[in-house]
Amino acid sequence: MTRRSMAPLALLALGLAAWAYALSQLSPLAIHSYGLLASAPIWFPLGLAALLAAFLIELVRPKPREWLLVACLVVLIVAIYTAAPIIYGGTPEYAWTYKHIGVAQSLGHYGRVTEPSNIYQRWPAFFAGVAGVSALGHVGPLSFAAWSPLAFELADALLVLGIFCQLVRERRVAFIAVLIYVGLISWIGQDYLSPQAFGYLLWLGIVVILLRWLRAPPAAPESRGRVARLRAWLLAGLEAPSETKPRHRLLAVALVAAIFFSVVAAHQLTPYMALAGVGALTLLGLVRPRWVWLLLAAIAAAYLAPRFSFVAENFGLVSSVNPVSNASGVKGAYYQGAEALTAWVCRGLAVSMWSLALLVIARRRRELGRVMIPAVLAFSPFALALVQNYGGEAIYRIYLFSAPWCALLIASELNELRSPLRRWLSVGVVCTVALFAGLQGLYGPIQVDSTAPDELAASVWLYDHVPHGSLIALPARNFPVGFVFDYNAYDVQFMPADYQITSNPWMDEGKLSEVNDWVASLGHRSAYVVVNLGMYSWSDFYGYPTGFKDLVRKIPTAPGWSVVYRNPDVTIYRMDVT
Amino acid sequence: MRRSRTEVTAYAGIVASVLATALVLAPSWHGSALVGALVLACVPAGAAVMCWVDSGEGFAQAGLTLVVSLAVFALGSAIMIWAAAWHPQALLALAGVGLASCLARLTRRVHR
Repeated sequence: MTRRSMAPLALLALGLAAWAYALSQLSPLAIHSYGLLASAPIWFPLGLAALLAAFLIELVRPKPREWLLVACLVVLIVAIYTAAPIIYGGTPEYAWTYKHIGVAQSLGHYGRVTEPSNIYQRWPAFFAGVAGVSALGHVGPLSFAAWSPLAFELADALLVLGIFCQLVRERRVAFIAVLIYVGLISWIGQDYLSPQAFGYLLWLGIVVILLRWLRAPPAAPESRGRVARLRAWLLAGLEAPSETKPRHRLLAVALVAAIFFSVVAAHQLTPYMALAGVGALTLLGLVRPRWVWLLLAAIAAAYLAPRFSFVAENFGLVSSVNPVSNASGVKGAYYQGAEALTAWVCRGLAVSMWSLALLVIARRRRELGRVMIPAVLAFSPFALALVQNYGGEAIYRIYLFSAPWCALLIASELNELRSPLRRWLSVGVVCTVALFAGLQGLYGPIQVDSTAPDELAASVWLYDHVPHGSLIALPARNFPVGFVFDYNAYDVQFMPADYQITSNPWMDEGKLSEVNDWVASLGHRSAYVVVNLGMYSWSDFYGYPTGFKDLVRKIPTAPGWSVVYRNPDVTIYRMDVT
Repeated sequence: MRRSRTEVTAYAGIVASVLATALVLAPSWHGSALVGALVLACVPAGAAVMCWVDSGEGFAQAGLTLVVSLAVFALGSAIMIWAAAWHPQALLALAGVGLASCLARLTRRVHR
């Protein structure tokens, strides 16, 4: 082996060692509000940089070893997505993951839908699947939920690599694109144990099938008619797909329909994101038969029809017809200090991604067919913004569904730079910026996204000791609730003091009389109020609830409040309405 | 002799089906039943289909095997929930289907 061929292997080993050493030296208490990259020992970012360098150095070789590229990619993804579970003792990230665990626990315990008013139970395919794994594995979903981001990201990368290898002539481009993709999507946080992560993975599978078996051959050029000329311009340079047999095309349609049905039964939004992509591909004649879109639309409609009034009454089908408003994210966010930095990094990444993709498309305007498939899939997700803000999350879903194709467009263009020095310098810069900007987005809010083992232990105590029907009142988000099978036997309420809870955060938590009146208004004579370290981090990071610290200061001397549980991270009070 | 992608898929399907069943039914160490359940969810059903069709690319073949398996596993579980007939052990039938299909695929190669 030459010295040059050894370099990537050495960097891979060194990167992994530096990453592991950094994690062994890191305590959760050392992480401050600017996140993991800023708080961890220098060996942590250096380790990740070494893993990235190993990949890039191997890529530059005349004949890159594919097994090594795959190994670098896998190790990089493992390093990115195991950091938080390792630091926080294997507890799942994001407080909202826990309610998903509760739904899966409930389906597994009762063996049927028990709460038709719960939207998750009306779309149960993913939760039922988790319940199945849990039952056969003899463990609760809580024991493996923390590793869900790792599993989904590895699976997504496999599918994305498979798609890119189908779409490009040079496999090197596919690997560059996957690396850019891994960086771009790392901050989006749609890979936790959730139906949307499952639906997205299945959508990637549908794309593999569409592009392998259902691509239409380029039509003969027609010179008559505006539509024909427009179409000819859009598809100029389109390469002919590999030939497929009719029986394989039939099987492909059947597989697409079956996978799509699983998506439809798992998640409310993903089928419509998929329909936007498939619709755009069939409209341009890139995928045939055109009726495949009608078939998928019929499946989605047939599933929605009996649930239509439930969705319309509780959530609404159209939030606004203003796409700018729909795509503007969560309203009333704080955007100062640490949160502002991370938010601006993510915005910068999103704007750069879409700008570069548009630039690539513009540069290919004389042979648009060469980029039409990724271009269509990159921008068709924006159709969502025409009708829905999805509780402020629409823009994140648009970004996620758009990212793979933007990454492919950017990678293809970078690979066409003539000067090898400029080419590899550009690839290195783009991959490094995408990765570290994405990681700031992922790790920036790690304090508010993670759950400490003591916080989970306190929640387990709460569900073990509090009578059914009790009110569990949470002054802020960031405490794990709802992960038990009988989650709906408790009345869990967030105090209306944060824009991320309600559009009208009227309560000043610092005024105990308002807390008292609110509990009484909910029909309870007492409540269990939880205060944990995660809520301090939350209120510092997001600036809400503004009265949280006043509440914590006043509770110990307030009449009617008593401590029922305490550990180093959590205090649980019982309050009686006065 | 270099094996075709569909043959490799068939071998993977056979190994996964046997391994998943063994680990789920006779767990030998802590967590082995969970490993078996995950293998059952991720491989046999997809291998049963993909051992007959070549996606033309190794990563795509593996990815489709995974996606088809997960889709079938989730739908099978959901059908039991909808029918209020929750018998998760019935999901082991997926291993049987995977094993039968993959063996049939390899037997066909031998006869040829």
